[in-house]
Amino acid sequence: MKIVIIGASAAGISAAKTIKASEPDTEVVIIAKEDRVHSRCMLHKFLGHERDVKGISFIADDFFETSGITWLNNTTVIGLDTQKKTVKTHDNQDISYDKLLIASGASYFIPPIPGLRESKNVYGFRDLKDAQLLDSECNTAKNAVVIGAGLVGMDAAVAMMERGLKVTVIEMTDAVMSLQLDQKSAQAYQQRFEEHGAAFILNDKVVSVDVDEVGRGKAIHLASGKVVPADVIVIAAGVRPAFGFITGSGIDTNHAILVGDDLQTNIDDIYAAGDVTGIAGIWPNAMKQGRIAALNMLGEKRSYEDRYALKNTVNFFGLTTLSLGNINPEPEENCEIFICEDRHNYQKVVLKNGVVQGVIIQGNIGGTGFWQYLIKNKIDISGKNKDVFGLSYADFYDQDQQTGEYRYAV
Amino acid sequence: MNTNFSCKTCASADQKLETFISNLSVDTSHHRMEGQSVKCGFGLQGICCRLCSNGPCRITPDGPKGVCGATADTIVARNFLRAVSAGSGCYIHIVENTALMLKKTAASKGVLKGKVALAKLAEIFAVDEADEHVRAEKIADMVLADLYKPDYVKMELVEKMAYKPRFDRWKELGILPGGAKSEVFAGVVKTSTNLNSDPVDMYLNCLKLGISTGLYGLTLTNLLNDVMLGEPSIRLAPVGLRVIDTDYINIMITGHQHSIFAYLQDRLIQDDVIEKAKAVGAKGFKLVGCTCVGQDLQLRGEHYQEVFNGHAGNNFTSEAILATGAIDAVLSEFNCTLPGIEPICDELKIKQICLDDVAKKANAEMKPFVFEEKESQSNDIIDSVIEAYQARRGVVALNMDADHGNDDTLTGVSEGSLKSFLGGTWKPLIDLIVKGEIKGIAGVVGCSSLTAGGHDVLTVNLVKELIAKDILVLSAGCSSGGLENVGLMSPSAASQAGSKLRAVCESLGIPPVLNFGPCLAIGRLELVATELAEAIGVDLPQLPLVLSAPQWLEEQALADGAFGLALGLPLHLGLPPFVTGSPVAVQVFTQDMLNLTGGQLIIDDNAQSAAQTLDAIIEKKRKELNI
Amino acid sequence: MKRIIIDREKCDGCLNCNIACISAHEEGSNFYTVNMLSPDAETRNFIKFDAQKGYLPIFCRHCDEPECVLSCMSGALEKDPLTGHVQYDESKCAACYMCVMNCPYGVLKPDKRTRTKVIKCDFCDDKVDGPSCVKACPKKAIEVKEVSL
Repeated sequence: MKIVIIGASAAGISAAKTIKASEPDTEVVIIAKEDRVHSRCMLHKFLGHERDVKGISFIADDFFETSGITWLNNTTVIGLDTQKKTVKTHDNQDISYDKLLIASGASYFIPPIPGLRESKNVYGFRDLKDAQLLDSECNTAKNAVVIGAGLVGMDAAVAMMERGLKVTVIEMTDAVMSLQLDQKSAQAYQQRFEEHGAAFILNDKVVSVDVDEVGRGKAIHLASGKVVPADVIVIAAGVRPAFGFITGSGIDTNHAILVGDDLQTNIDDIYAAGDVTGIAGIWPNAMKQGRIAALNMLGEKRSYEDRYALKNTVNFFGLTTLSLGNINPEPEENCEIFICEDRHNYQKVVLKNGVVQGVIIQGNIGGTGFWQYLIKNKIDISGKNKDVFGLSYADFYDQDQQTGEYRYAV
Repeated sequence: MNTNFSCKTCASADQKLETFISNLSVDTSHHRMEGQSVKCGFGLQGICCRLCSNGPCRITPDGPKGVCGATADTIVARNFLRAVSAGSGCYIHIVENTALMLKKTAASKGVLKGKVALAKLAEIFAVDEADEHVRAEKIADMVLADLYKPDYVKMELVEKMAYKPRFDRWKELGILPGGAKSEVFAGVVKTSTNLNSDPVDMYLNCLKLGISTGLYGLTLTNLLNDVMLGEPSIRLAPVGLRVIDTDYINIMITGHQHSIFAYLQDRLIQDDVIEKAKAVGAKGFKLVGCTCVGQDLQLRGEHYQEVFNGHAGNNFTSEAILATGAIDAVLSEFNCTLPGIEPICDELKIKQICLDDVAKKANAEMKPFVFEEKESQSNDIIDSVIEAYQARRGVVALNMDADHGNDDTLTGVSEGSLKSFLGGTWKPLIDLIVKGEIKGIAGVVGCSSLTAGGHDVLTVNLVKELIAKDILVLSAGCSSGGLENVGLMSPSAASQAGSKLRAVCESLGIPPVLNFGPCLAIGRLELVATELAEAIGVDLPQLPLVLSAPQWLEEQALADGAFGLALGLPLHLGLPPFVTGSPVAVQVFTQDMLNLTGGQLIIDDNAQSAAQTLDAIIEKKRKELNI
Repeated sequence: MKRIIIDREKCDGCLNCNIACISAHEEGSNFYTVNMLSPDAETRNFIKFDAQKGYLPIFCRHCDEPECVLSCMSGALEKDPLTGHVQYDESKCAACYMCVMNCPYGVLKPDKRTRTKVIKCDFCDDKVDGPSCVKACPKKAIEVKEVSL
């Protein structure tokens, strides 16, 4: 059997590994538009010169050779023939498959703001190519502007600060990383960034960009009337699933490729995993989807149930934070909020009817993995009769006598 | 994030204190409980032995004996006797210093404020001297002579002090103590490597140490102090963090040896010293009570209204008192002077002076008290406290809690003041007991610990249960500090008592929990019990009287407990004293003791069930007395 | 694969397993010399106490389907196909702590001094005489046993 995988990030590589571990004889072809495999979560380490290209890979150097996988890099898929079961590449190859996994991820988009799309010095921060282009800009630029203070924007900001640029972050909402943090925990990061030289403009948005004679954006005009000078601009205003090449293939989509619990699309033998499905959201989920799609392509019947994507960890300047679930409930949701705070920690637990809706653990996050289980599985903790901040896995301790693995006693 | 040291502090019966501590930016015992929450089971059971280099040996299914062959019973008994010996040593140190102080005070014709106490001791000791100073010196000499006897020579005052039926029983059991200091020595020797391995012999030895500790370390220390410092008298006084007055130069005192402060506390209110304070912007000096010596000052507070501001809190409140920022110096002479105060004092620029090297703190100035130099020493202390005051006030932030505590804690209760209050006779109390208006008496004593639910938690909950059952509670030790701060020693607490006890309290205007002061006053409780038994004509174990040290903390408490068992009283502890790994220990303490002394150990960390057990014992004793 | 099997009933909370783990990861130290106060002293196993259940030893299971490995975006965490143990390559780790978030049993933690790496059981590098914690347990509450994957 021959399995073709489009995309070489979390879902694609995880699928390839799973296939080769289970059935080494299966032929696997990975097609990727990038030059090399890299972890996008480490791009800031590359841009900040903390690691080189090799250092942000998440596979062994000889992964493709030792596992016998055909690796087609710098190759863009431009079409798909579901009848003939082939994919067409930019260099006009038709590559046949028995089963196909689309793990082509997502790509950033530039909002339609006058001057922004036209500027040659506007970059996303999505893959290695973006980081490499930004890297050379950083050699000469002095002022950097990051549009969007989400995790990606903050990653880009910290890397450019590392390179000695004066970084200004512009954000529409009133706090940084507002999807992951609440006001208080966001403030802790903003303060650390500012101490290291960054400037933040919150509650404001870009209305236009002045483009100079060589086509570079030089001044960014904000709704407030402020003008921010820029030598390089990073746009971090969100991403969209990338699947333009399936147009006309008959695969069902809305804003993303639609898949069932088995991660198969409406077309037999074509699966999708990772950001392109819109249900991944985050690296660990993409990895899991890649693994499950692979097992299903090999004939198993696994279903993907872990659709819980409201989770993240943040680590800037040694301040670590775990964020899960609904951390900023609206008053009408009638949630109870518990806060525990000291000079090294800020913890917030959102409860509704005894069920944990969300947590923020900022500071010491050791041993906090159990929270995700509680939230994902809607465990009622009211019976524990205990300070929520004293909870740990010990409160749900149970073991499988046969395997010695832990379970949850709930 | 805020500036709080940590958001994990242990619970406290005193809600205001719990909140105060949880908001502190300094580390306290209450914070450190979290990091010590998992306890080693071997340690808890007392089955870890570190007496030789073959160890530490621990009793396990595969290793049921130590390398030397010691069983769990032997290991537990050795550990326990060592602890009791150390605890006894602590109290004997206190009575030795107190007797020496009385001897020197008397010899130098110093002031003796407690005429009644002096007369009482002279009567017990059969000292017939007209001159009060000669009389006092003789009494001190008799105490010292006993303390310094070898262990093979019995102490002479035991028979004079002890209730006759008890003395006879002790004699039968062969547990009359020799010289109290030597007995500590003997206990330590006996428990060393490959010496005594007989658990029963060692537990009897504990009782012996209990007797010397109780009669000398506790009872006599009180009475000797009363001679020098004045007898307690009943009054209402303020307690809690509210007693600290920021207008004054404040000195917190910790320890157990009130007489060491005798000269200083008078000196602090003399005009020239007050002038010195005024010169640096303060109104004068105040002593802020903490730990047992604070209780001692509170007990005798009638004599020290000007210099003593009140008792702020017990052992595990000391860090919080310092964290108010309004204390300028700590004078310490014994426990409980927690090592945890050291970094707080450093951070808040609080001067630390130790007056007795047994309680030397790492970063404190050592100034061993010398009787002959007390004038110059006091002046030096005053000067260095003023210096600290000038360096820190205005610089160190204040964090007061004027809401904490209350103004109407009934204090000054002693065997003497209580009897006077009752009209000079125990009859009214005995009548109330006989009629069942007061069902019985519980001496709730000892320390606070942070286990057993948290700071003062079991003590307070148990006392609430007991008074609800019409049992009058007498308290001595840090337990008093906790009980007074939560208002159980205020007359209004009568409303929390059962209907009969409530009526008694309301008619007399007293709370259902009487404050005898420091742990030393456990000796006063013994005097009360003895006088009651004498008046009724029974032995102590027959009285409807129980003891509880719900939150016993340290080795001294174990020596006190041994005294309680020697007296033949039922003794409740919240947590076991590291003996449950030995079946023999459990048997001896919970069963066999009944036949030996009439005493009995009850271990229970649940306030409700413990109160039920104690109540049942009182009921049983009432029945046996046909009342 | 070999797994540390826990008999929680036997645990007495002495924390010898903590000391053993810290010592095993402090080069050249032993039970006498291990520096418990070093900022780098970190234990990879935990004993929790519960009033009802007693002592609860929490040790890395080197899970059959390890959530930590699945969540790792740097390739630092890998399940060794031969030993079955989840190995950690500190040089690859990007300290994103997705693994801390995803370990359902709360075994993983960031290092407390630098917050640049993960503290995780390495099965004492599969030494012949087994993990240090197991050897140090006086009650045999933890023992290495072969379990089928």
